[in-house]
Amino acid sequence: MNQTAKKPKKRLFGRKDKSDVYLSDRPPLSTAGIIGLIITYVLLISWAVVVIWPLFQMVKSAFNETQFQYITSGQRFEFGLKHFKALFEETNYLKWVWNTIWIALVTMGLTVLFVSFTGYAYSRFRFRGKKFSLMGLMLIQTIPTFVGITAYYAMHQIISGPVPFFTRQMMLVLIYAGGGIAGNTFILKNYMDSVSTDLDDAAKIDGCSYMQTYRLIIMPIVRPMLAIIALWSFMAPFTDVLLPTVLLTKNQDLTLAAGLRTLISDMRTLNQPAYAAGGLLIAVPIVVMFMLLQKQLIGGLASGSVKG
Amino acid sequence: MDVKLVDIGKKYEGRSEYTLRNINLEIKDKDFCVILGPSGCGKSTLLRMIAGLNSITEGDLYFGDRRMNTVPPKDRDIAMVFQSYALYPHMSVYDNLAFSLSMKKENPKIINERVLEAAKVLQIEDYLQSKPSEISGGQRQRVALGRAMVRKPKVFLMDEPLSNLDAKLREHMRVELVRLHHSLDTTSIYVTHDQTEAMTMASKIILLDDGIIQQDGPPEEFYNQPANLFVATFIGSPTMNLFAGKMKDGVFISNDGDIRITPTPEDAKVLLAYQDKDVTVGIRSERFISGGELGDTFNAYVEVVEMLGKEKLLYGKLPKGQNITISVPGHFEYRPGETHSFGYDVEAIHYFDSSTTNRIV
Repeated sequence: MNQTAKKPKKRLFGRKDKSDVYLSDRPPLSTAGIIGLIITYVLLISWAVVVIWPLFQMVKSAFNETQFQYITSGQRFEFGLKHFKALFEETNYLKWVWNTIWIALVTMGLTVLFVSFTGYAYSRFRFRGKKFSLMGLMLIQTIPTFVGITAYYAMHQIISGPVPFFTRQMMLVLIYAGGGIAGNTFILKNYMDSVSTDLDDAAKIDGCSYMQTYRLIIMPIVRPMLAIIALWSFMAPFTDVLLPTVLLTKNQDLTLAAGLRTLISDMRTLNQPAYAAGGLLIAVPIVVMFMLLQKQLIGGLASGSVKG
Repeated sequence: MDVKLVDIGKKYEGRSEYTLRNINLEIKDKDFCVILGPSGCGKSTLLRMIAGLNSITEGDLYFGDRRMNTVPPKDRDIAMVFQSYALYPHMSVYDNLAFSLSMKKENPKIINERVLEAAKVLQIEDYLQSKPSEISGGQRQRVALGRAMVRKPKVFLMDEPLSNLDAKLREHMRVELVRLHHSLDTTSIYVTHDQTEAMTMASKIILLDDGIIQQDGPPEEFYNQPANLFVATFIGSPTMNLFAGKMKDGVFISNDGDIRITPTPEDAKVLLAYQDKDVTVGIRSERFISGGELGDTFNAYVEVVEMLGKEKLLYGKLPKGQNITISVPGHFEYRPGETHSFGYDVEAIHYFDSSTTNRIV
């Protein structure tokens, strides 16, 4: 009756069913297919090793008490928190964390706020120069932020004249937020374009102003994209080394990435295992932010379509 | 409420041509008015202008005695049902229904009452806590209607609300909508491209094409006295048969000579003026007489027979090759490949002036 049931075959990577009826929607693997599959796995595994090995080394040396200033391989492993202790007691690590977190939070807030407005405007309104300025936004994106570094100095000089409390860190926030707005506007606009304008019309008839239409109707729908933009702009200050290194001069003003860099680039403060330990801890605030936003990321997807 | 359009015109930003111009229209209180037309004729634009979603370039819009041109949509006392339903996907059905009232800062008790009342009428009480994505198309349609109902609007606007439903449900909802219209006691304006919907639901039809009102009036008038060839072919399924020809000695003769029709004495009087002029004759498929022997007759070769149950549609050819569609009662025996003789119901023949396409009689 059932051909496959008569002659049970052993399949590569296949689980044995009780009846061994072939249930997969894909055709059974041929010999060439099996070889292809093996090659694929070999490639993927070696790729994974390339990614995971340095991370593993970092974790290992961060907890290895036998490591000193330089990380050396082949060392005996002895578990301990010596390097973390050094990080907290001998460096400005906590200051750096604080600096980075507030810079990241303000950057995130500013980016999301501005991108909301610009994205909504580009998606929903017709105005003179819309096409042109959108093109401009895209072009601006292709130029890396750091080319403006001399201009940033000048800008800071100009602004801090009349506004003395305008610090270099605030300048950094402006650069991060400003840089993020261009590209994210484009992304959010495209996402909003996929939301039917009938919703705007319905809201208008229901008595919403433009602001209310955005806040009550559109924003909840584009929430997943806003969450992604928020996460990205939150992460940017954690990973950028160049701008804080150049702009911020005092060690205690530095952000995490720039601060940790002093542990591997400066002979006076060199401490490679502490660098590894600090790098490991960077993940904590980002993971926390990810967990906070996770619900938003997924929540919006479930309530997608309105059509019949 | 009466809705009056005086010389309304619309030109979109960035377009050189007017989409609509010189639209004059009066919709009476409690009318079910259907704006009908092929896609791109400006019917949705007209509705959106009435709703206040599009600006009015020229002319005046009156609700009762009040000029509404610059009144924002929320103050026009209207409700609108969209083709896509436009339900707010992140809100529950209940919140969707309650949204417009809560925007008006209505008393929560009244909101609750109205929502439950609408839900009861539309039989969506069981889904009040569901999200729009969790309910079926037909239920979403009801929610969209309910959202309009709770506002108790003076003017009820609908933009092709049935086109996303399957055929069976659409038939059902047509009746429901008319019922709803009567129970709400409002003026309804309904946009569609489906002539069946227009014919079955409307108390007044407005047929738009090319930005011009081709005809307005009750459905029977559209079917029995189409104002021009466009209306004649747009209304009715199957499409009206048309024969181009000339009046000769008081008799209509088609250009290929296959069709000869002697008009009724009343029609003949009017047609006197069209002696030797180009005239197009229209006759609906059901107004042929099977097995015609008396008066004018013609022979048709039956190519395809469509059995619809209560009637049969015969797609045939005249001797010189012109196509003709004839419907006969379903129990009549006609088979493809046969040739039969048919007569005309001369009372039901429409005469159009070929040069202007307007109706003569």
